[in-house]
Amino acid sequence: MRSVSPAQGAAPRTAVNLKVLAAGAAVVLPLLAVLALNLGRDPRAVRSPLVGQPAPPFSLPSTGGGAPLALESLRGHPVVVNFWATWCVPCIEEQAALTAAARSLQDTRFVGIVYEDEAAAVGQFLASRPAGYPTLMDPGGRTAIAYGVAGVPETFFLDADGRVVEKHVGPLARSTIASLVARARGAR
Amino acid sequence: MIAFVLALVAAAAADPQGATDPGPPAGPPLSGAALDVRTEEAAALLRCPVCQGLSVADSPSSMARNMKQEVRQKLAAGYDQEQVLASFERSYGEFVRLRPPLRGANWLVWLGPAAFLAAGGAVLLRTLRRPRGSQVRSAAARADDPAPLPEDPRLAQAIRRVRAMAGGSPPDLSPARKTPP
Amino acid sequence: MVPILGRTLILLALLSASAGALVALATGARPSAPGWLWSRRLAYAFAGCMLLANLTMEGALLGHDFSVGYVAHVGSRSVPAWVSIVSLWSSLEGSILFWGLILGLYIAVATYRNRDEHAEYMPWAVGIWLVCGAFFSFLLAGPAQPFATVADPPLDGPGPNALLQNHVLMAIHPPFLYAGYVGMTIPFGFACAALFAGRLGEDFLRPLRSSLLLPWIFLTIAIVLGGWWAYEVLGWGGYWAWDPVENASFLPWLTATAALHSALLVERKGTLKAWTLTLIAATFLLTILGTFMTRSGVFNSVHSFTQSAIGPTLLVFLAGALLLSVALLALRIDALESGGGLTPGISRDAAFLGQNLLFVLFTFTVLLGTVFPLVMEAFRGTQMSVGRPYFDQMAVPIGLALLLVMGIGPALPWGRATGEQMRRALLPPLAGATAVAVAGFLLGVRNRWTLAALLCGGFTAQVTLREMLLPVRQRMRAHGESFTLALRSAQRRGRRRFGAYVVHAGAMLVIVAIAVSSTMSTSREVLLKEGDATTLGAYTLTFVKAEAVREPHRESLRARLEVVRDGRSLGALFPSMNFYERQREPVGTPAVRSGLVEDLYLSAHNIDPAAGTVALLVLVTPMVAWIWIATAVMALGGLLALWPRMRESTAPARSLSPGPAPALEVVR
Repeated sequence: MRSVSPAQGAAPRTAVNLKVLAAGAAVVLPLLAVLALNLGRDPRAVRSPLVGQPAPPFSLPSTGGGAPLALESLRGHPVVVNFWATWCVPCIEEQAALTAAARSLQDTRFVGIVYEDEAAAVGQFLASRPAGYPTLMDPGGRTAIAYGVAGVPETFFLDADGRVVEKHVGPLARSTIASLVARARGAR
Repeated sequence: MIAFVLALVAAAAADPQGATDPGPPAGPPLSGAALDVRTEEAAALLRCPVCQGLSVADSPSSMARNMKQEVRQKLAAGYDQEQVLASFERSYGEFVRLRPPLRGANWLVWLGPAAFLAAGGAVLLRTLRRPRGSQVRSAAARADDPAPLPEDPRLAQAIRRVRAMAGGSPPDLSPARKTPP
Repeated sequence: MVPILGRTLILLALLSASAGALVALATGARPSAPGWLWSRRLAYAFAGCMLLANLTMEGALLGHDFSVGYVAHVGSRSVPAWVSIVSLWSSLEGSILFWGLILGLYIAVATYRNRDEHAEYMPWAVGIWLVCGAFFSFLLAGPAQPFATVADPPLDGPGPNALLQNHVLMAIHPPFLYAGYVGMTIPFGFACAALFAGRLGEDFLRPLRSSLLLPWIFLTIAIVLGGWWAYEVLGWGGYWAWDPVENASFLPWLTATAALHSALLVERKGTLKAWTLTLIAATFLLTILGTFMTRSGVFNSVHSFTQSAIGPTLLVFLAGALLLSVALLALRIDALESGGGLTPGISRDAAFLGQNLLFVLFTFTVLLGTVFPLVMEAFRGTQMSVGRPYFDQMAVPIGLALLLVMGIGPALPWGRATGEQMRRALLPPLAGATAVAVAGFLLGVRNRWTLAALLCGGFTAQVTLREMLLPVRQRMRAHGESFTLALRSAQRRGRRRFGAYVVHAGAMLVIVAIAVSSTMSTSREVLLKEGDATTLGAYTLTFVKAEAVREPHRESLRARLEVVRDGRSLGALFPSMNFYERQREPVGTPAVRSGLVEDLYLSAHNIDPAAGTVALLVLVTPMVAWIWIATAVMALGGLLALWPRMRESTAPARSLSPGPAPALEVVR
């Protein structure tokens, strides 16, 4: 290929166009900042707007028959509302911790609400592994919707006045339950 | 049909979640085809929380179907669209509304395009009004201009016509010669 | 053995790309023949290594070699062979490897084709290309390593994502997308070369334009294939949801289309050079942003790959590319402008500028909507969504404006239009506009926006047809040729122009088809028991029974529905739900019967063979098939416009050197 004379290849030296530089920086830097600030954040982890608000009331039938249980009837005690399902492996794993906590934390009321599952499957599961606290069915998923549940397990910690103190997404360990209940107790 | 409506109203009245309503129903109860249409409209504005981006109207997941049913019941009870959307917002957060509500900083996303259009339009008009040849031209840039027209007037005219037909008359670098050959 | 071979090839690719980039950039600054020779050789070496690495991976996938990390991640013995082949791009690391392959091929071809020409630009271009190549090789060597050795190879793997196995469109959508996306690196290299060199000569416009047009064709096809896939596979009956990943593919298409038109003004008027280069740079930067959006896990999307470690790395590369582009433009913009003026007032120039403005506005709007939730999250801590209703609302007026400009622009003359010329140009197509709109109205269209789309579409159709046939008519008049002969010779000589109008025709059809299909569909949701029937429009659907079908990689529940239209039986459709081993929720596959007039779309949820019920969604949507067909027309037009590149034998109309042009050596 023919050789190129240096004069043709040299680039002209011109001053920096400040307007273009400023405009470019104005577009580029904020964009990069926004992207960088969002790194590491899980876009699927949505914070609950219910924290600090009164918990949505419910009155749901219990598995195994009997009168429906209303949230109102638990007023005056800290409440732990746990949404779970039999097809959810972490839910099954955390049940032991919840059962143990229900036994040890006497003044705290524990409630399990079934999410998108069948009564028969739930009944079968509880027959072999009783929870030690009431388990309620949620027809049409209306309570789950009211609590903004998007998956299981999700657990809500309410104080004695019925306000939501914390929403925990994912399985619970005994220590977490204890600390969150302590927070709910101290919140009044 | 009446029994259906009464059943809906009764179900709504016996609604265990009554206290999450943002105020009393704003309008009359709906039913029939109007209810279907309004349910679809409202569901299209709600984001299915488990589906990453799909609306409640479009998503086949069981959560979405439950939510759609909830929308339908609320609309049947007489709540208007804004109340229905607000009640879901209470539970899930602003995230569940697919159309950013007109408040606070959200105005930026609604007015941004219009502002951009206005600014761009101004730049465009200025570009079109700018007189020709007023910019500094470097030697290299000048080298890219088309060749000047030749001396011969007939030839110059022919070339000018060809260039115009080919599309785009370059800046007229030589005066048009109208003298006869 | 295989992992080590793969890793070695990646390292060699990284080395040759890095060395090649250094050599090429140095050659650009200080030209020399050996420098250019070695730049080329290293570029070919990079391409060769990437090719071999990809072949190695395909071999491992087809051979179920689970000692290779990526194969252990997505391979499976129970999937068909074609699924194994397409697993190459089904997950993150493999898709980066595939990116490297496409990039290598593009670089090799572009280097080879221009090895003897454009000496002052090519080394710079190769340098920039190989910087990109080095970056992607680095990703493959480090954060996104497909050839990791698995210490204890499993006996079988999980297979690729279920959604990706459901339909054969999965096989062809990504290659087209990558061919489009990655291909934008080439014009970016050329644009940077022009900026480094400080000039954009007319001779360089041709490779710049062609290197932009080819990926554009692929990207156009890819975007619509994605929509078609969503339509055929996802089951919600639509084809575009303004999902962040969909937007990621659309954004560079918008700026690339704007750049193609702006380049035309550079060619004709010698002006807007810096603007065109800005658009080309923006196109490439948007592809990198798009890659970041898809793979960083920052955006909430149906399609995105799971959160991965390459997010920060991609962000750094994006930042570098952005800053380089801004710096280059700021340094060189004054050197580039030649001062050739645009015709003031109303003319085709103004229409071009208007079209550019609209495309850039569209880009800004889609980008704003996509990024806005992140802005709110970063600066105010609130999580909000900008979804389909927002984008639809914004896109409709912009799309209609574009449709109209597509008709007004070609109608106007290049020079300043007198009032008389404007009347002659713009009034007759109103006849076409009214005809189409009235036809639509008679066929039942009542939506205001759709009627507006039909008006603009009819206007543009008439203008496009007129311009397409203009050279044909001229030839018939001037030479007395028959229509077909004139058509053939006009098409042969003015292929670029003809191809461009074919693209316009296709684009017009796409916009009109989108307008009609999104507003004129009817739907019904029913719960059917065996033997029940339902009607929608002219169709009667009878649910015969539900059956279970067992396949090696999935279990399907199918509902058999007999379709009858206007008394005539049209056979059976089988919407199904597919259960894959690794997923809790089944993947619904709709059954679609496409026709030129309308589509019948059946989507089944809750197929219960025991109870004999099916929850069915029925949609009848007009003109959906036109979208796919019109896109093929657009691609065809693009190919036509690209073709002369292969047989470049005539010099451009204007002379390049400031000397007597050969054409002027006329006998006096």
